[in-house]
Amino acid sequence: MKSINKQKLADVLTQWSKGYAVMAPVDEGSAASFKKWEEGKEVQLDKNSTIPAKNIFFPQTEELYDYKAGKDSLELAEAIPIKDEMIVFGIRPCDLMSLEILDDLFLTRGYIDTYYKAKRDNAVIVSYLCGEPCRTCFCESMGIDYQKAEGADITMCFDGENFGFIAQTEKGENLLKEIDLLTEERDVKLSEKQELKLKADTEGLAEKLALMFEHPYWDSAYEKCIGCGACTYLCPTCHCFDINSHNRACGTGFKTRCWDSCMFPDYTLMAGGHNPRPTRKERFRNRFLHKLQQFPERYGKTACVGCGRCISKCPVNVDIVAIISQLKEVDINDQQGMDRVG
Amino acid sequence: MMNKMTDKAKEVARELLEKQEVDLVIGWERGTFEDKTAPLFMKKPEDVERLVINEYIVNSLATYMLHYKTHGGKIAIFVKGCDSRGIVRLIQDKQFTREKVYLIGVPCSGMKEVNENDEMVDSPKCDGCTHPNPVIYDVIIGEEVQPKNPENRFKVLEDDLNKVVEERWSSWASEYNKCIRCYACQRICPACNCRECIFVDQSQEWIERRVDETENGTYSLIRAYHIAGRCVECGECERSCPVGLPIMKLNKRIAKDIEDLFGPYEAGVDIEQNSPLGDFKYDDPEEFM
Repeated sequence: MKSINKQKLADVLTQWSKGYAVMAPVDEGSAASFKKWEEGKEVQLDKNSTIPAKNIFFPQTEELYDYKAGKDSLELAEAIPIKDEMIVFGIRPCDLMSLEILDDLFLTRGYIDTYYKAKRDNAVIVSYLCGEPCRTCFCESMGIDYQKAEGADITMCFDGENFGFIAQTEKGENLLKEIDLLTEERDVKLSEKQELKLKADTEGLAEKLALMFEHPYWDSAYEKCIGCGACTYLCPTCHCFDINSHNRACGTGFKTRCWDSCMFPDYTLMAGGHNPRPTRKERFRNRFLHKLQQFPERYGKTACVGCGRCISKCPVNVDIVAIISQLKEVDINDQQGMDRVG
Repeated sequence: MMNKMTDKAKEVARELLEKQEVDLVIGWERGTFEDKTAPLFMKKPEDVERLVINEYIVNSLATYMLHYKTHGGKIAIFVKGCDSRGIVRLIQDKQFTREKVYLIGVPCSGMKEVNENDEMVDSPKCDGCTHPNPVIYDVIIGEEVQPKNPENRFKVLEDDLNKVVEERWSSWASEYNKCIRCYACQRICPACNCRECIFVDQSQEWIERRVDETENGTYSLIRAYHIAGRCVECGECERSCPVGLPIMKLNKRIAKDIEDLFGPYEAGVDIEQNSPLGDFKYDDPEEFM
């Protein structure tokens, strides 16, 4: 396979940067997120990025249009969707699967999100297959083989010394041709697959949850949740957003869409003051029902890829794997007094 | 070793629930891994079986009292040194009365955690701890311990001593660029007890949801100034930050400035002592006015 030594990684990225915006997990000291790579920026590949790759296609803050309101007039200037050709470099199989989930949401059912689509259509995906999974990974339970990357244009593996590239599509082949002068033929082997520490079984869960909206399980499960948005913002599949006005002087301003979190008290707060999810309990329940029941009902797949970010970063150890196993165990008919199982 | 206290802790918690002296005991249970714990809410004597005391009980439970401040009954809560200071601050801010809580003191010899590189280390938040023993309690379940390195309280500020303002600002600007405004730092904080938080109520437009250096910096600085003199230096904000911002550096800077201006002061240590910023004395320094 085509291969380069790790010392040459920057050369490859420099070469690709000539024709593309290369989005790579840039190490920013205490966190890594997908940013446009420029010479001198450190790429973090040894562990998954802190912020998921969804940020490339569905940024936390995205401008939609500018406005200018006069006495009897209104001018709107729509932000033009970004159509630059880009390479998404180093995305792991879990985050890659999350793009399929976001595709369902943003591109199907009769509505196409032009901002998302423009970026998605113009991206060439170079996926980084996992050598050593983290202890919070449970991607296998979500149907992902962490050493395969379906939907990638190129798969990349690393043996500690060399990177190996295999083109999966024509787009990928063309991209590899561009670095022909830098690569050499060499076999690069991934370390052997390990058994993941965490496992979750979601078989039949969506059907069960459909009957559990009022179940007393939720009365205690949410108690430790402090209602921050870390889990939702770090989740590669969470996709709630709201539209915000940014008023500036003399009737001008602009609108953005920003990530929203169902953990926040003003999520779904209505103009009249009513909130259908008034306490942490309803908001906590919403997060899990959306991932494990509503999304599967609508799109036929669980809205979780098992990346484990929420488990490793939750300040109070709300653990989706533990919650899935408790939900599986709960007696659906026990409508009182069931505090918790497990 | 702290886990020796587990049996005593269970005994105390079970008795409180059996005798119905309280209707809730807040403690810790084992989390996803052996080195992780999660807050535990015990309502029945049998729930006590899940309680653990060890070197991983890193969460301050004080913040949960804000969730239960309108709860009718009495609540028992386990407190390490820093957590007890959080409780003192909340009582001083009249969030609830002293009678509402039964405090079970846990002398703390410092927490351990697994860091980003999967190594077991002493929790950074415990470095420079001045009060490992609870400063207020109804019962204590272990022998009091000596502070390990109280002289390190302001060590984190040393980095910045030789930096000029521009350098300090540019390093903070790059930190703020990382912030995702998940508000974990605010939600976990026992000093953050405003009934209506300006960051929660977006309709007031004090701050925009847009995430960038300006808005993130505004958030961070307002929060830092707002908890000035009320921060008990428990380090929960920094521990909770998913992108690893050095939030305590800002809080310690302000704590140090308060000491330099008004003399020795640590928030939440003495329930009778007002915060210098919440009090007025004729000899207060006024050179900034």
